[in-house]
Amino acid sequence: MNLDKDAMTNEQCSQWQPLLVLFAAGEELDVVQESEMAGHLANCSYCRSALDSERDLLAILGEHRVEPDAGLLASCRASLVDALDREEEGGWLRRKIGTLLPADWMSPRPAWSAALLVMIGFSVGMFGPRFLRRPVTPPSIAKSAPEPLGDPSSVLESVAAPSPSSSISSDKFDLHTADVAGINVFHAEGNDPPQVELQIRTQQPVTVRGTIDDDNVKSVLLYVLRNNRRFGSEVRLNAVDLLRARSSDPEVRSALSQAVDTDRDPEVRLKALDALDGAAPQDMVRNTLLEALEDNENSGVRVEAIDSLRRMVQSGQIPYDDGLLAVLRDRMDHDSNPYIRIQSAAAIRDFGSR
Amino acid sequence: MAMSVALEADARQAAADKRSEEHSLVRNAQAGDRLAFEELVRRYDRDVLRLALNLVHKQEDARDVYQESFLRVYRNLHRFRFECSFYTWLYRITTNVALDHLRRRTSHREDQAPVLEDAEGGTHDFFDRQPETSASSNPEKQVLGQELGAKIQEAMTRLSPRERTVFEMKHYLGLRLRAIGDLLGTSEETVKNSLFRATRKLRESLDGMRAK
Repeated sequence: MNLDKDAMTNEQCSQWQPLLVLFAAGEELDVVQESEMAGHLANCSYCRSALDSERDLLAILGEHRVEPDAGLLASCRASLVDALDREEEGGWLRRKIGTLLPADWMSPRPAWSAALLVMIGFSVGMFGPRFLRRPVTPPSIAKSAPEPLGDPSSVLESVAAPSPSSSISSDKFDLHTADVAGINVFHAEGNDPPQVELQIRTQQPVTVRGTIDDDNVKSVLLYVLRNNRRFGSEVRLNAVDLLRARSSDPEVRSALSQAVDTDRDPEVRLKALDALDGAAPQDMVRNTLLEALEDNENSGVRVEAIDSLRRMVQSGQIPYDDGLLAVLRDRMDHDSNPYIRIQSAAAIRDFGSR
Repeated sequence: MAMSVALEADARQAAADKRSEEHSLVRNAQAGDRLAFEELVRRYDRDVLRLALNLVHKQEDARDVYQESFLRVYRNLHRFRFECSFYTWLYRITTNVALDHLRRRTSHREDQAPVLEDAEGGTHDFFDRQPETSASSNPEKQVLGQELGAKIQEAMTRLSPRERTVFEMKHYLGLRLRAIGDLLGTSEETVKNSLFRATRKLRESLDGMRAK
């Protein structure tokens, strides 16, 4: 009778149900299981229906899965190339340290590694100055300093007493011979601008403190960007980050534009380009972006430039003129980066070929 | 019969040749050949980015996963001992990086599908930014597709990071469960159970939907 057959089928179905998922997924059952499953499906409408549901589900999910578009992939590749360049630059130092202290020894011994790092840090802090014969003196001790040069941008004047918004040492010092060792930012509460602390190494350590609105702080940061070969990447990156808040200032825009053109670190160039993006529309910003798109050897910078140009044309910050069109046509035909070629073509399509 | 045997032999030989060629490429990259490494990247980076995008669901996070994965490969290439295929090793690293991202992320729904505000104050989510690939799509179909996409997105958030990874690797990368187990450092049985749970959760969430 059919009832007996149905009861037997349902009992068999319970053992096959879990395997339906694997059957629908494909290539997970062995030959014997596949054959037995096929035989069962031929006689069981319930399981056939369950298999159809499973396949429908996979089809729906398959239709809506996200595929990376060409632009995203090209952008990722460009960023990776830059990151690999930075890795190679740091590789020499890492290899030297690795020969002294192999990472293989350290990595499975986290406790020993941590203890060793603490000991190294403690030793350097305690014995480093003595070893180097440089006594640590507080910045308030007055010392004679070289006479300031005529260029006001390279010298910070001392003040007799600290003002409410800034404080610097009582010495005069010349940025031409000084080094900016570090930049610290202390975020303030509420809407107050953050406090910036610039650690300057000269004949004696000097600290310049203030907000980004302080002209002394701005002068030092601009000097760092304009003389980028003298200062480390980290300091330059911090300088760009802080100056971003004053990107409408013509002096700051000029320094950022120079950083886009001449800084040796692509990350600094990209950050400077990004900082210019929000600046008030000026020919300098437009020209900087066009030059970066045309000439910069780093594809990541060119990617940032084309993205910024499209955004600014879209928002009306810069006009879409023959000069811009010529650069876009050139990049569409000749750029080595496929993302830039695609974006240039898309920009011409969106804004018109005139 | 002889023809099929010959074809099978050809296929095996081709696979062996491909493995050998990739073996040389990895060796060259280990020796410091940057071009060889970039060739390896080009072979697999679309799959890596696809995996990352479907696991973390945010372009910026996928970009981070992509970069972090390849940088880890680059830094540790000297430790690769050819005990598995290069792509297995690469996907293992990518999966771990993506899982770390997912575990770090707080489980807010808005984090899973970032909502953008347009000029009129309206909102649209992640799927609105994906290009419509169907040439015959009409607006109604587009809206329905977006709604379904949002529902799928929500359903995927109910999966654990491990379940999502197994589902993605099985159905979109076409990996066998045993290979997935190797990638995740677990057993085939555990992976199978993850797949069952993932499928059950998705079925419960999307019950009633049908493919177009």
